[in-house]
Order: sequence, then structure tokens, then C-alpha cells
Amino acid sequence: MMQNLPWLFLVLPLVAAAADWLLLARRPRMAAGVSITSVLATLVLCIACMCGLQTGTPADYTWFPVQGIDLSLGLLIDALSIKMMLVVTGIGALVHIFSLGYMKGDPSNHSRYFAGLSIFMFSMSCIVLANSLVLTFIGWEMVGFSSYLLIGHWYHKETAADAAKKAFITNRVGDFGFLIGIMLTLGLFGSLHYADMAGHMKVAAGSPVLTAAILFLFCGAVGKSAQFPLHVWLPDAMEGPTPVSALIHAATMVAAGVYMLVRLQVSMGLYAFTDTACSVIAAIGAITAVLSALMAAQQDDIKRVLAYSTLSQLGYMIMAVGLLAGEAAMFHLYTHAWFKALLFLAAGAIIVCCHHEQNIWKMGGLRQKMPLTVLCFLAGTCALVAVPGFSGFFSKESILEAAWGRSLPLFIVGIVVAAFTTFYMVRLCLVAFGGRARTRDAEQAHEAGPSMLVPLFILAAMAIISGYGFVADRLVPFADFHAESTEWNVTFFAGLGSLIVGGGLAWFMYAKSAADSAQSDPFGSHIISRILRRRLYIDSFYDHLLIGGVQRWFTCLVSCIDDGVIRRLVGHGLALLTAWTGRLLSRIQGGSLRGYTVVASLGVFLLILLLIILF
Amino acid sequence: MLIWLIIIPVIASVLIGFLHTPGRATALVSSLLTFLLGIGSIVALSMGADGTSLTHIGELPTSLSLYLPLSKPMLLLTVLVTLAAVLGLKAPDAAAERSWSISTLLISAGATGAFLSDNIVAFFAFHELALIPTFVMIGLYGRGERRTIAWRMTIYLGLASMVLLAGLILLYVQLGTMRFLEMRVMAAMGRMPVSACLTAGLLLAGFGTLVSLFPFHSWAAPAYASAPAPIAMMHAGVLKKFGLYGLILVACIFGPACDKFFGCWTNLLLILLLGNVLWVGCVTMAQSRLDTMLGNSSVMHMGYIFLGIAAFVTSGASNALAYQGAGMLMLAHGLSIALLFLLTDQIERRTGTLEFSAMGGLAHKQPMLGFFFGLAGMASIGLPLLANFVGEFSIFVSCFTGWEPGATPPSYCWSWLNGLANALGGLGPVQLTLIFALWGLVISAIYMLRAIRRIFAGELTPVCERATLPLSCAEICSAALLSAALVLFGIAPGILA
Amino acid sequence: MTPLSHYLIFSALLFSIGLGGAIMRRNVLVVLMCLELMLTGANVALVAFSRAQGLEGIPVYDAQVLALFVMAIAAAEVAVGLSLIVAMFRARRGVESTSLTSLKD
Repeated sequence: MMQNLPWLFLVLPLVAAAADWLLLARRPRMAAGVSITSVLATLVLCIACMCGLQTGTPADYTWFPVQGIDLSLGLLIDALSIKMMLVVTGIGALVHIFSLGYMKGDPSNHSRYFAGLSIFMFSMSCIVLANSLVLTFIGWEMVGFSSYLLIGHWYHKETAADAAKKAFITNRVGDFGFLIGIMLTLGLFGSLHYADMAGHMKVAAGSPVLTAAILFLFCGAVGKSAQFPLHVWLPDAMEGPTPVSALIHAATMVAAGVYMLVRLQVSMGLYAFTDTACSVIAAIGAITAVLSALMAAQQDDIKRVLAYSTLSQLGYMIMAVGLLAGEAAMFHLYTHAWFKALLFLAAGAIIVCCHHEQNIWKMGGLRQKMPLTVLCFLAGTCALVAVPGFSGFFSKESILEAAWGRSLPLFIVGIVVAAFTTFYMVRLCLVAFGGRARTRDAEQAHEAGPSMLVPLFILAAMAIISGYGFVADRLVPFADFHAESTEWNVTFFAGLGSLIVGGGLAWFMYAKSAADSAQSDPFGSHIISRILRRRLYIDSFYDHLLIGGVQRWFTCLVSCIDDGVIRRLVGHGLALLTAWTGRLLSRIQGGSLRGYTVVASLGVFLLILLLIILF
Repeated sequence: MLIWLIIIPVIASVLIGFLHTPGRATALVSSLLTFLLGIGSIVALSMGADGTSLTHIGELPTSLSLYLPLSKPMLLLTVLVTLAAVLGLKAPDAAAERSWSISTLLISAGATGAFLSDNIVAFFAFHELALIPTFVMIGLYGRGERRTIAWRMTIYLGLASMVLLAGLILLYVQLGTMRFLEMRVMAAMGRMPVSACLTAGLLLAGFGTLVSLFPFHSWAAPAYASAPAPIAMMHAGVLKKFGLYGLILVACIFGPACDKFFGCWTNLLLILLLGNVLWVGCVTMAQSRLDTMLGNSSVMHMGYIFLGIAAFVTSGASNALAYQGAGMLMLAHGLSIALLFLLTDQIERRTGTLEFSAMGGLAHKQPMLGFFFGLAGMASIGLPLLANFVGEFSIFVSCFTGWEPGATPPSYCWSWLNGLANALGGLGPVQLTLIFALWGLVISAIYMLRAIRRIFAGELTPVCERATLPLSCAEICSAALLSAALVLFGIAPGILA
Repeated sequence: MTPLSHYLIFSALLFSIGLGGAIMRRNVLVVLMCLELMLTGANVALVAFSRAQGLEGIPVYDAQVLALFVMAIAAAEVAVGLSLIVAMFRARRGVESTSLTSLKD
């Protein structure tokens, strides 16, 4: 009985979601209560499991009994999964509580919102705890669905509805590759269970089919973790409520791709990740990191800046996975989850208090209006830009360390991205918090309520301390990833240098405009800025080529051919065939009595002949 | 016992037709009875009840049996969809209500008979019985160019039935028995039809056209769009599965030899099913009306079931997963498409249109309709926890269960396919087809989400502004019945096995 | 005693004359009479077989009973046929079989 407890991770949120949606649709407060209870219960359960309450493996659920293949769903409880689970439930719980305050004045249906959050908790637990690619894929699709629900929470907004659709479809493109990868894995390893993979590979290490399998699996991560070229959905996903952005689109779901890859590295063995596959993965991560850091530098929407920064941090993690440093990637995932959730929730508090104003050029002077929130935001910023001593510094350092050892170009990419990160974060803080209030909304801003502040404080504490050994040793899945293992070497000084260069540049460019309350970016009309604001034209390229070109023109063409050629040819062909046969046979029914008589008597003679011949 | 599943609806339709009892009420009683009876016999059989009490009337054996492969899920599908169709039935006047009820019941009786018959003649004849009301109802009560549509459907399906009959007769002549279970014994003794290629071709063409296999699919979408809702539900949801059921049945008859039996057609089938998934998928994306979009999507999803059948056939009927997956997807697709047609009717009765361009924001006025439609739509694009996912995923996995990496790569007629297959470790035709067919996941997500987005989300349009009539209790019950079944089979598909 | 073959040849001749007439003649009245001739041919064959199959001079009565049936039915058929012909004559002033094409046209 005890060993089956981890199933509660899945059952509790699912039951909560069903109850919220079906029974409590008109009782939003109770629905919120049910969801929060379920997430707190899973948090407690998770801590209990870490403390050794959990012994033995949970029993498998024979989902679809079929002879010859094991499709059963089971849970894998190990350091990697349970520590990841703590991040998920921990941040999940804080976001649930924060949502209470955030959604207070919102007229939409709160039951639906909390049901969506609970479905997310369920599906994320599926991914994290899965013992086979089957359950991983189930969770993979379900997180996509919950993200769709939550991005489209304000479905009456055209932009939100479009963003939700875009997120789901882009993820499906990744899932297309992921499924091919799963199928190839089944062929290559003979099993979809993580435990049965190691040592059962049927081909030689380094064979092309193995590369193909890994790269197809990586497609799933490209979609879910929003890597180039499928990164376009994540910035749009900011149309959803901000707590959702914090939980799903910053801390946990988008990191699922990294988690999945690390899980595969652990279970398949590093030798399964061939050189070609690794170079592609690292290159995609690096490209994403650079491009999105560039795009973040000129965004005016506070959530979009954070979204692009998430993209670029995910690029870091993917790059680390490609460098076969999955441990470092998990360390960064863990610190990033805390400080990025903090940044988003703080941004959410700011947005609520500025009456849903998201443009940083319409804020200003917030450091006097809401000092506590701003302080929390600054703590998150310090962690993000890797100020020595903050958690993000140590994890970023470990990734740069891995890059330094293996690939100089990637190391330089890492340094450049770090500089850009500092640049856009300092720009954001200067404009939004410095100077005087630029609009009346910012003027009237005030500190948020306790249900929003308390989660912020907890997250701020984590953003600062989570890198140090006394926390990290307990919460990071792999050993020896903590502040104390950082050395004073070239990566340290390179990181410090990028911090100073990026911060200095931002100060030089924006300190003046922050002080004199400019209403828009002074460099906004510059050509580089325009290109960056248009997201390097990648989105418009997709819009025109894929949606305008393929989706509209190509499908119309196919549809016309289907209707004009296939229906005409086959349909009319069959109709003509029927008509001709009918006409031919109707000749026999010529209306002449003699004809009938002749045919009938001939028929009788034939029958008699047949009888004579046969017998 | 089982015979009552057919007799009750026939009696009910006689009552409605000749004694003019209230159409929907009588049909409701009849379909409730068959629902309980159907579920009861399946449960009784799985609890270990004596099978002969089900299949016999007194001492007399009937040709009905629940021992055929897949007849249990198909019976379940029939009784579920019939009940939902009758519950949700809403006709313009009393005469229409009577004829719609009669047709629904007759289709249900015919489909039940076809799915349970252990005999070629009954198998074929019951299906024809069920087809005729479909033609008539579209011709009389359809929307748009109903005559043309009904005629086209009649010609396609009539010819298909003829070709199929020829194939079935050949099968009978060469195996020397009319009963499927005996055929299986004969085939197991090594009796293989002399003209296997011809017989298989006729069967494939006949069954295939009945299931709208590319390029014989042009009848389907307009017919579903035009048919009255209960008829579309019954045909798309239940009756269309007859062809797939028949193919699986024939494959099971030949067992390990079915690979040889269908041998000369499997590659063609693989190409044609890609036509269903990708070509018709693109056609579906181009639709601007909900009803034609759903009709085309139904055609598209048939491709996946054909893929399951192909995987089953090429493995020599040893691929249990392909078989189970195809059965599950048949059941799930029937439920989801029936639910979608039901909801389409409810939407149309409230908004008066099905054009995407005219709609928007309906979820404000009809949140429950939005919930059900979202659930059905998500089911049909294969979201986990809903039944379709189980079927689709099993079929996908089944395509790769027999594959060994690095096996001798087959040579394809196009050289670039050779290159691709070799690069991926010598993929066989089924695996390669799967890789192309998986793109259908993206296509289906695009059209279904776009439909949901256009109808339910966004700003409220004047057309949807007027749609204030709340769902009636019967409408909710009917949609909830199908939704509950989708969720149940999605979470615990094991109860069917 | 006359051998069976003679009867059979006679019966075949009767049948063929009847069939030829039924095919070639246009007058429906004559066609009807030719039909009677064919039935008579069949009857002759039946009775002949009845004799031939019999033992010790006792015929097999089954065939004779059948012949009686055929005669009874032929009588009924003539009644119906004649009344149809009369009705036809009243309606069309003619009994030509070639003019009976209204179902086709």
C-alpha cells in the first residue's frame, strides 16, 4: 500500500480538476480551495517521499492489456524525478496561492482556471514521474492541452485565443517528431521503459539510425521547450494570466524538454547520444539563446522581455544537454525555475497593481510605490543576470564550465548571451522602477496583498539561497552541484566581464531616458531596434509562408483538385459506368414479347445442356 | 438473447410506421432496451456466462454470435450511439420525427445484425438493410443538393456492395462454408483460395469504398454534411465501421496466412491510406463550414484505422496491438464523430448557420456546448485520457513492434524513399507509411483547433449573440453519454479487452 | 407395345410446334393457343413416363396427378388469358403482341 502512494501525485490533481470543472463550475471559491488543497497535498507527499517515506516501486497500471507488448503505465521514483517533482509542486503551490490574489477582480470563470491548473499539475507529474515513454508522451500531450486551456483562459480576447491555438499547434509539430523518435526508440531498444533501455541497444553506438532517433526525440523538446525554429509560440503564450506564465511558461512545462533529454541520457547511457546528434542539439540551443536574447533586448512588454529571457535560458540548458552536461542543465533548470517564477510573479503583481498595464514605458517610479515587490523582482534579476552570490550565477557558471571544456565557440556564445541578458534586464529595471511615474496607472500603483506577497518572499529567498550547498545538495538531482564547487577560473572572470559590459551598456543607453520619463524607447526607431522588435521577422515569415501560403493556398488547391478531379473522375466515372451498364442491359428488356420468349427458352435449353454435361 | 437486439428496433419501427405511436418516445424505449440488453450481454459474457444462451433461441441456434473478433466493442458502439442519436433527435415536424426514428432504429438493427452475424449472407444483408434508410433520409430530408448527394452516395455504396458481394461469394465458393468461424477452421487447415489476389482485391475495394478509402471518398463528406443529425451520427459513427470490421474479420479468418491473402494489395493500401490522412487532411483544412469539415475529418481518420489493419495484416495477424488498436480507434472514432455531429446540429439549431466566418464567441452564450465540443474535438485529435488516443497510439506503436533495426532494407520504387529508409535503419513499408501518416496529427490539430477558435472563442458575433436557447435536458444527456464513454475508454481501455 | 421414344418424340414435336408458334405468331390469341400446345406436349411426356416407369401394367400415378394439375392450371390460365385478351381488344382494338410496348415507352 505504502509503495503505491506516489500514484496520488497523479490522482489528486486529476480528481481536483474533474471536481472543479464538473461539480464546482459555479462555486469558484470552493474550486480554488480544492485545487490548492490538492497541490499542497502533493507537495507534502513529495517532501515525505524525499525524506524516505517512499520505499519500493509503485505498482504498474495495466492500462491497455495487449499480448506481446508491455504498454503498462508506471512511476519511476528516483532522485532525478522526485527532486524535479519538488520544484514542480513547490512552485505549483506558490503559484496556486498567488493566483488567489491575482484573479480576485477578474470576471472570468475561476473554476475553469483552477481546473486548468490542476490538469497541468497532473500532466506535469506524468512527465516527471513516468517510467516509460508512453506515460511521458501522455503527459507531454496533456501539458500542451492544459497550456492551451490556460493561455486561452480569456478566450474572448482574439489575441489570447490565437495564441492558445498557436501554442498547441506548434507543440504538435514537435510531437510529430517526438512520436517518430519514440517509435524508433522502441525499435532500437525493444522497450519503451526507461529501466529496460540501458544495455539493450540493438545497433552499434554511433550508427545513423541512433542519431536519427535521438534527433527525432529532440524534436519533442524543441516544441515543448520552445527552441528555434519552434520558439514562436512562447512569447505569444504571455497572453495567458501571469501566474500561468510563471508556472507553465517559465518554470516547469517549458523545462520538460530538458528534463526529458536528461532522463534519456541517464537511462540510455551517454554513448547513445552520438556526436552528430549532440552537435545539432547544442547548436539549436546556442542559436535559440542568442536569437532570443537579441529579441528580448528591444521588447517593451514586461512579460515579453521575461518570455524571451526564458527562451534564452532554455537555450542554455539545451546547449548543456548537447554538451553532454545534463547534470549542469538540471542544476540550471532548478535555479532558473525558482528565480524565473519569482520574476514572473513579481511582474504579475506589478501588472495587477498598474491596472493591467504591461508596457514598461508606461510604468516608472515603481520603487517608491511598491518597494517590496520591486525588491523581490531585483533579487530575481540578480539571479538571472548571474551576479556572483545569487543562485543563477552558480548554475550558469557550471554550464559555462562545461562549454569551456568542450567547445570554444559555444563558450563564447554563452558569454555573449550573458552580456545581453544583463543588458535587457538592467534596461527593464531602469525604465520600470527608476525615474518617476509616467502614467496615472503607475501613479496609483500600490503594494499587493499578502496572498501575492508571501509567495514572492519565499521565491525571493529561494532565488538567493538555492545555489548554496545546504539547499542545493538536498534539491539538485545530481551531486556536487552547489556554490561551494565554483572555482575562481576563466569562466568566473568571463561571466563577471559580461555582467559589467552588458550592465554598463544598458546604463549608458537608458539611464538618461529613465530619469526624464520618456514615453517610449529612445532607440525604438533605429533600424536594428525595428528588426528586433519585429522578432527578426521569423514570425511574419511563418505567418506568410506557412499560414498564408501552405495552409491557405495549398489546402485550397488540394481541395479544388479533390473536388474537381477526384470527385469528377471517380464519381462521374462510377456514375457513367452504372448508366452504361444499365443502358446495355435495358436493351434486353426491349419490350418485345417474342424477344423475351426466345431468351427464356434459350435459357431453359442452356440449363438442360448444363445438367446433361454436369451429370 | 442477441436476436432481441434486432427484433426490438424492428418492432418499434413497425409500431411507429403503422400504428403511428409517437416517434421519438417509442424509439427511446426501444434504444434504451437494446442499450441495456447489449451492455448486459457483454457484461454477462465477460463474467463467464454461458454463451449459448445468448446465441440461441431456445434450442435453435441463430447466426448471431459475440465470439467474433471485435463484435463486442462494435455492439457497444452501436447501442451507445443509437441511444445518443435518439436522445438528441429533434425533427422539424411529427412526420419527419417518425421517419427519422424509424431510420435510426433500422440502421441500428442492421448494424447490430451485421456486427454479430457469423454468416456471410446475414452479414451482407443486414448491412444493406441499414444502408437503405440512409439513402432515403438524405434524399428526403437532407440539406443542400440532397438529391445529387443521395444519388452519388447510392451509386458509390451500391457499386461497392456489389463488388463486395462478388468477393464474399468467391470467398464462400473457395472456402466451402458460409460461417466465419468455420471459415477460420478451413483456413487454418491450410486452405487458401486459388484466386486469393482477386478475392482480396474485390473485398478490399468493396469494404474500402464503404469506409471511404481514398480515392473513393467523395461521397462521404457531402453526405454527412447533408444528412439529418441522427442519420449522420448513425452512419458516420456506426455503420461506416462495417467495412473496417469486415476487413479485420477476413484477416482473422486467414490468421497467419492473411499476409499472403492480402499480399498483392498491402502496398497499394498503404499508399491509399496516406491519401486519406494527408490528402483528405488538406481538404479538411480548406473547408469553411463546420459540417463539411467534420465529414472530411471522419474520412481522414479512417486512414489511421486502415494503417492499423495494414500493420495487422502484414504481421500475419500476429500483431495483437494493431488489432486491438484498430478496434479501439473504431469504437472511439464512432463515439467522437457521433458526438461532433450531434453538437453540430445543436449549434446549427441555435445559430442558424455553420459558416466559420459568421460565428465567434459562442462559448459566452453556450458554455456547456463549448465544453462538450471541446471535449469531442480534443478526443478526435487524439488527446490522452480520451478514447481516441488509446487507439491511435496503439496503432502507431504496433507499426513498429515487428521492426528490427538494420534489417535488409526493402527497395522502394522511388529512390529517395530508399535513401530515407536506409538512413533510418532499413524501414519497411508500414513503418515508412507511419512516419508520413504521423503528420496527420498536426493537420488534425490545425483544423480542429481552428474550428473551436472560430466558433467558440473570440469576439461575439451577431449570429452567436442570438444563440441564447439553453441546452435541453435530453440534449445534455445525449452529449454526456457519449462524452462519458469517451473518457471511460480513454482512462480505462482495459475494460474492453 | 409402342416404345417410350415414340411418345417422347411426339411430345417434343408438340412442344416445339407450340414454342415456335409462341415465338413467331403476333396474334396473342394464337400465342395463347400455342402455350396450350406446349403444356399438352409436356403432359404427353408425363403420362408416357408414368406408363414407362410403372411395374406390371400399373403406372406410377404421381406423374398422372401432375398432368391433371397442369390441365387444371391450364384451364385457369386460359380463362385469365382470354379475359385479358378481351380487355386488351376493347382497349386497343387489336391483339398484336408487338404493340404491347407501353411499359417500355
